[in-house]
Amino acid sequence: MRRTIIALLFLTMTNAIAQEKSAPKAAGNVSAPKVIYKYRQYEKFDLGSMEIKGSIVAPGDLSVKERSRRTFSRDLYDRDNFNMEVIEDIRNLR
Amino acid sequence: MKKILMIITFIMSSKALADIKSATELYKQPQSLKRDREMALELFKSKYFFSSLAFAKNYIAGAKDLDPEFEAVIEKLMVKTGTMSFSYMDRKILKKHLSSPTLALAYGIRMSQLKNWEESNRALSNVPDNHKFASEARMLQGAALNMLLKDNEAVQMYKRCTKVSQTIEQDAEKEKLGRYYAIIKESCFIHLARIEYRNGNYEQAKELYRAIPKTSYRFPFILMEKAWNAYQREDYNRSLGVLVAYKSPLMTSYFFPEAEVLRALSYFRLCLWEDSMVTIENYYKRYKAQSDVLRELLLKHKNSHTYFLKMAFAPIEETEKMHPYVRNMMTQIRKKIKFSIDLVAYKKAQNELKFIQNLPTSKLRNLMEGELKETLKWRTTHLNHYIKKQMFDFVNEIHKFSYEMFNIKLEILARKRDLVWDNKQLISDRSRGSHENLKRESDEHFYDFRGEFWADELGDYSFGLKSNCEKVRVGASK
Repeated sequence: MRRTIIALLFLTMTNAIAQEKSAPKAAGNVSAPKVIYKYRQYEKFDLGSMEIKGSIVAPGDLSVKERSRRTFSRDLYDRDNFNMEVIEDIRNLR
Repeated sequence: MKKILMIITFIMSSKALADIKSATELYKQPQSLKRDREMALELFKSKYFFSSLAFAKNYIAGAKDLDPEFEAVIEKLMVKTGTMSFSYMDRKILKKHLSSPTLALAYGIRMSQLKNWEESNRALSNVPDNHKFASEARMLQGAALNMLLKDNEAVQMYKRCTKVSQTIEQDAEKEKLGRYYAIIKESCFIHLARIEYRNGNYEQAKELYRAIPKTSYRFPFILMEKAWNAYQREDYNRSLGVLVAYKSPLMTSYFFPEAEVLRALSYFRLCLWEDSMVTIENYYKRYKAQSDVLRELLLKHKNSHTYFLKMAFAPIEETEKMHPYVRNMMTQIRKKIKFSIDLVAYKKAQNELKFIQNLPTSKLRNLMEGELKETLKWRTTHLNHYIKKQMFDFVNEIHKFSYEMFNIKLEILARKRDLVWDNKQLISDRSRGSHENLKRESDEHFYDFRGEFWADELGDYSFGLKSNCEKVRVGASK
C-alpha cells in the first residue's frame, strides 16, 4: 500500500514539472505583442535660442593656453684652454 | 773614402782601447764610492758615456754631495745620453741632490710627469739662469705655475724663459742647438698666449701668436690655436681662413682632426649649415680610413716591444708601402724633438755596445756589456711604447672628434626642424663671399685664394662669407 502511494506521488510530480517547462512557450505563442521602435529621421536644434540660466564662476570664454615648444640645445665642442698642449710641450723637451 | 773611414775607425777604436786599459786597472781595486767616481770619470774621458752612467749613478746614490768636477761630468752625460738617464732614478736619491742643477732638472722633469707641479717648481728653482739647462728649467717652471693657476708668476717665468733661451740661442755654436733653443723660446711665447686665451683675453693672445714666425717649427701647430682664438672673437671668416692652410701641399703630413671640427663649427656659426654638413661628411670619409688602418696595425702588434721602433728605423718607402697614412704618422713622430733626441742617444748606445764587444775579455768588459744590453733593452721598450702611444692617441682623437661632429650634425637637424615649425627659412643668399665681410687689422693681410697656396701667405688667409643667420618667412627670400 505504502509503495503504491509513493509511486503515485512520484508520477504526479514528474508530470507537474513537465507541464511547467512547456507552459511559457505555449503562452508566448498565444499573447506576446510585437514591439517596433521608430526614431525620428530629422531633428533640428536651434542652439541660438537656447538659454542657460545661472551665474558665471569661471573665465568668460573657452580658451586653450599655448605652451611654448621646448627646444634642446646641445653643448657643442669648445676650447677653454690649451693645458693638454702645454703638458705635451714640456714632455717634448730633451 | 772607404779607406779614410777605416783609418778613422781604427784610430778611434785604438784610442778607446788605450783608455779602457786604465779603467780596467782601476776596476781591479776593491769596490768603494771613490772607485765608482773615478770609474765614471775615466769611462767618460774614453767616451764610453753609457758605461760611465752606471758608475756615476752608483756614486750619486752613495755620495753626500757632488763636487764641481763630477757635476760637470754628469751635466755632459745628460746631454749625451738624454734626460731619461737620470730622471728615472730613485726619487729619494734625486731629491737628496737638489743642489746639483743637473739632478734638479732630472727631478723636476720626473715631478712634472707625475703632475706634482709644486714639487717640480720648487726643485727647478735650483737651476740658475746662467746654467746650460736654464731654458728647460724656466719653461718647466712656467708650465708648473700655469697648471697651478698662478698666472702672474707664470707670466714672469715665461718671460725669463724667452730671455734666457734667446741668450743661449745666440751663443750656440751649432746650428741645430741654436734651433733647439729657438723652439724653447717660441714655446714660452706660445704658453704666454695660452694663458691669455684661458683668461678670455683673446686680443692679447692674438698679438702673442702673431709673434711666432712662419719659418718656425711650431708654426703648423699654432695655426689651430690661432683659429680657435679667431673663433672665440666671433671672427669665423678668419678662423676658416687660418684652417685652410692645413690643406696646403706643404702640410700633407700633418693631421689635425680637431681642425675639421673647428671648420664645421665656424660654418655652423655663420648658419652655413650645408657647408658644415659637407665638412662633417668629409671628416668621416677621410679619418675613418685612417683610423681603420692604424687600428688594424695597433691591434696586430700591440704586444710587441720592438715592432714600432723598427718601423721608425725603416726607410720611408717601406712605411709608404704599408700605407701613406702610416708614413705620414711616422714623419710626424720623427719630427718630435724628444723622440729624435732619444733616438740619437739610442743609436749612440748601440754603437758603444759594438765598441765594447770588440774589447778584449775582462771583468769590466763583461760588466759594461751586460749593463749596456740592459740599457738598450729598456730604451727599446721605451721608444717603442712612445710611438705606439702616439698612434693610440691619434686613433682615440679621431673617435672623440667623430662624436663631436655627430653632435654638430644633430644640432643642425634640430635647427632645421625649428625653422619648419616656425614656417621660416634662412635668407640663404648664395652670393656670399665679399671683402665687406672681412674683419682685419691695419697690418693684417688679405689674399685672394686662387687655388694655389703660397708659403708666405699661409695662416693669413681669411674667408669673406656673409652670415646666413637671418630668418625670413618661407618664400620671402631672394
